[in-house]
Amino acid sequence: MICPVCSCLCDDIEIVDGKIMNACKRGCEFFSKYEENRSKPLVEGREVNIDEAIDAAVNLLKQSKSVAIYGLDTTVVEAQKKAIELAEKLEAYIDDNSSFCLGEFVEAVLKEEVPTTTLEEVRDNAYVMFYWGSNPHYSIPRHMSRYTYYPRGRKRPRGYEEDRFLVVVDVRRSETATLAKKNARFILVEDDLELIDSFFKVLEGKAYKYSSDAAIILREMKKSDFNVVFGGLGLKYGLKDLKPFFDLVNKLNEVAPLYFIPAGFHGNMRGFNETLFENVGVVNRFSFKEQNSKEEFAFTELLKREKIDTALIVGTDPVSSLPFEVSLKLRKIKTIVVDPRNSLTARIANVVIPSAFSGLETSGTMVRSDGVRFKLEAIEEREINDVSILDRLVGEL
Amino acid sequence: MPITPMEIYKWLPKTNCKKCGEATCMSFAFKLLNREKKLEDCTPLFEEKKYEKQREKLIELLKPLEEATETGLIVDEDLCVGCGNCVVVCPVHVELDPKGAAIGKGPTIDDPILRVENGKVKVINMEACRRYGKNRVLCVVCRENCPTDAIRFLEG
Repeated sequence: MICPVCSCLCDDIEIVDGKIMNACKRGCEFFSKYEENRSKPLVEGREVNIDEAIDAAVNLLKQSKSVAIYGLDTTVVEAQKKAIELAEKLEAYIDDNSSFCLGEFVEAVLKEEVPTTTLEEVRDNAYVMFYWGSNPHYSIPRHMSRYTYYPRGRKRPRGYEEDRFLVVVDVRRSETATLAKKNARFILVEDDLELIDSFFKVLEGKAYKYSSDAAIILREMKKSDFNVVFGGLGLKYGLKDLKPFFDLVNKLNEVAPLYFIPAGFHGNMRGFNETLFENVGVVNRFSFKEQNSKEEFAFTELLKREKIDTALIVGTDPVSSLPFEVSLKLRKIKTIVVDPRNSLTARIANVVIPSAFSGLETSGTMVRSDGVRFKLEAIEEREINDVSILDRLVGEL
Repeated sequence: MPITPMEIYKWLPKTNCKKCGEATCMSFAFKLLNREKKLEDCTPLFEEKKYEKQREKLIELLKPLEEATETGLIVDEDLCVGCGNCVVVCPVHVELDPKGAAIGKGPTIDDPILRVENGKVKVINMEACRRYGKNRVLCVVCRENCPTDAIRFLEG
């Protein structure tokens, strides 16, 4: 069974005698509690049947002048395609969490601005591994043990102490940083740009703030024909502009092969990015009315600037995840929530359409953080799911 | 806090009376920690009133020994996030399960030493551990790679 919680999409989960085997704490919470706190079909707080809820959603969408479709990172690619179709039909904005998550990294990978690889290749070949601004301990707990640092690979049979070199770059001593012991380096940075500059300076033969660390890492990189860097949110928010980082990755490739993989995010965020990219050439915050993508089309910005009158929120909970002053604006607009869970957003929504959990109650495709596609099989297929709900909305509009 | 033989010794009578069958109180402390001797073997501690406080202290000090597995491994489930680092790094798993735990997947053998169940690591088969039995190796690789210190050993 595949766990759809984070972008690791671990495919070795088993349920034996009611015990959930191999899943991490996050995955386990999902599998053990999916039946709790389920949403019910609601229109203006009144319980209705599912058809009435969908009809109410259709009416709301018909009446509205400016719609945004938001979320979609936890659903399957098939539903994401339907959502894009719906956005096109409504000339709506469409965005997901990647506009404030790692969307820019995925975009650079899809546009082939940096070389990338798969996690299986990493396991079999990689020597130097950077975790830059990423602490997998919280967000993607099995990343290191399942795919990167700890497993033995075809060309790396001797285990992490000899066959891997771990580099952790962070602004604090994270849990991952405590694992950087033998054959490893932890670099505590104040500004990511200074470390990037240090690498450039060392290549020019000059000294700079972190040049001793950079020199050691470069020496290690030259020992291998396969090195990898995982960039996390810390890196994205540490840099105002990501270009110097991508320039560095490309520059270091002149020294030794270095691949880039975004560290981790929601289960199928990359799926949304890829699906939208195939359709319109950008990964997020797209306006079908203006046929382009701008920073101000991000869902958070649309709310702040009060550009929309209706939001269709699929499988995400902005009330709990967005800053209070942003989510407060949801009160001013009409909201339609498609979610299996009675989330905080569902509690304030005008229309709630209960859905099914993707990967558990809906079969479909999801995309791992490195772009590998997985076919998820539901253990109990539900008729009403994100795909069928969005399909009905497309049909009735 | 790990329990050390020295810490145990501090609270023993330190008379080297040999009533426990050991030559010295220090050697008794070592055997206590290895669970080859029981605290009750030190009869003066229980018979003489002047050792009462020391006895109580020792009972409290040695409490984790009862919770620990036979190799001295203690798992604090509240701290564990189920990352599985310990399962994958274990050299015994690598040898016995080259297509499973060795390459990062969940163990495919029936009786691994450790396995992640319900999001927490569980000790399944301690007898396979290198720390078990007479010819043991004091391997600590699972503890070394636990990011939350959820795995501890009695000796530290």
